[in-house]
Amino acid sequence: MIAIKTENLTKIYRRRHLGKLYKTVGVKNLSLEVQEGEIFGLLGLNGSGKTTTIKLILGLLFPTEGKISIFEKSFPDRNRLNLVGYLPEIPYFHKFLTGREVLRFYCNLSGVDKSTQEKRIDEILNLVNLFNDSNKRISEYSKGMMQRLAIAQSLLHNPPLLIFDELVSGLDPLGIREMRNFILSLKEKGKTVFFSSHLISEVERVCDRVGILHKGSLLKIVEQKDWQNKNLEEIFIETINTTQ
Amino acid sequence: MKKIFSIATYTLRQNIRNRVYYILVFFAVILIFVYFILSVLGGEESLRIILDFGLATVEFFALLLIIFSGVSLILEEIESKTIYLVLVRPIPKWYYITGRYIGLVLSSYIGMIIMYLIHCAILFYKGWSFDINYLYAVISSFMKIAIIGSLAVFFSLFSTSSASSLVFTFFLWLLGHFTSEIKFLIKKAGTPLLKILLEIFYFIIPNLQYFNWRDFLGSGISSNWFFIAFFYGVSYSLIFLILSIILFNKKEF
Repeated sequence: MIAIKTENLTKIYRRRHLGKLYKTVGVKNLSLEVQEGEIFGLLGLNGSGKTTTIKLILGLLFPTEGKISIFEKSFPDRNRLNLVGYLPEIPYFHKFLTGREVLRFYCNLSGVDKSTQEKRIDEILNLVNLFNDSNKRISEYSKGMMQRLAIAQSLLHNPPLLIFDELVSGLDPLGIREMRNFILSLKEKGKTVFFSSHLISEVERVCDRVGILHKGSLLKIVEQKDWQNKNLEEIFIETINTTQ
Repeated sequence: MKKIFSIATYTLRQNIRNRVYYILVFFAVILIFVYFILSVLGGEESLRIILDFGLATVEFFALLLIIFSGVSLILEEIESKTIYLVLVRPIPKWYYITGRYIGLVLSSYIGMIIMYLIHCAILFYKGWSFDINYLYAVISSFMKIAIIGSLAVFFSLFSTSSASSLVFTFFLWLLGHFTSEIKFLIKKAGTPLLKILLEIFYFIIPNLQYFNWRDFLGSGISSNWFFIAFFYGVSYSLIFLILSIILFNKKEF
């Protein structure tokens, strides 16, 4: 089954200033397919359209043109969001709430059954090693704890598809390693992972396939076997250079 | 429905845990006690001073509460990106606005109930016997707060900064107390265009004079004013809530 499919996806940002219309291309004619159970990485420089693509898939932005399907049902259908877990680049939570309260809130919104909710929250808190700090207010959390809470909220409703934006951004080497193992463990559980990054070394280690995005266009899709012969960094730079 | 309730509870918790909330309620309570002391100057009308000034203070502080929390309610979540993790859940977008609005209004009502209880306690201490008009005044203030809350949410979606939505909301609250003056201006308007513009303006701004219960009681203007005012308050708040939902549905994040 195809977990994510985009067809000619285009997003043009329009901004009016002093009566003049300014247009910026977010993504242009982006067509890709992510298979169920696959780890797909979206690789690109800053401003290449990675976050725009993710926001379009999640329905946070409306496409100017093109179609998006999630598990072969066309989007936007907000009910399909039940199948998706999202981890933002920098996780923001309301600082007045405790970690447990935040998770309980997201459980309610995701429709996790009330009778199993507390058990599920405990399970997830243990998984991300936050159980002992779960009754602390978020304002007391460190960056690493926030990241772990963000992972917890993305897994709460046990979604088959996980979308992560700039997964390892700002993490220390130990955190990056933990995250890498976490992604690989998700694959073992049969989950589909779609994530964006500009860190080639990380993408190379975990992905089955990688899409190279540059200035809003998907230039190439590279498979794992391709970068076993040739370094992914070289492939990436070569691909980017061909457009310049 | 459960999901709207969940968003409302989260908003309520967020507002009540905000320091500004405590400070405002605390100051209002202090002021009510000040009237208690000042009432000595009122001689025989001392009870009247505590009653009138107390009611006005509760309403004014509730207004501050709802404006300050309301204008930043959604804007702050958009700016801090906390809204992303709510909008990627399988809920219709209008649940979010409705839940936020209910939570906002409820948190102001809780603050108001605390202030009214303290006010009543002081009044009873001074020998006041309960008057049904007090209840009318309380419900009227509740309606005003519901209206101002819907305007605050609407402007927070409309404008790009908390300051501008704060000014717009406060401006409309102020104008809402001068609707009869606007009506007078309509009569005196020289050109038809100005008349039409003023008429439109008259219908847009909230007619808060419906809720100035003292103007109506005993004057014989209308015996069922309370129900008309109640209906007006609910309809006005609903219209602005629907407008906020329409705006929010079109918004990108």
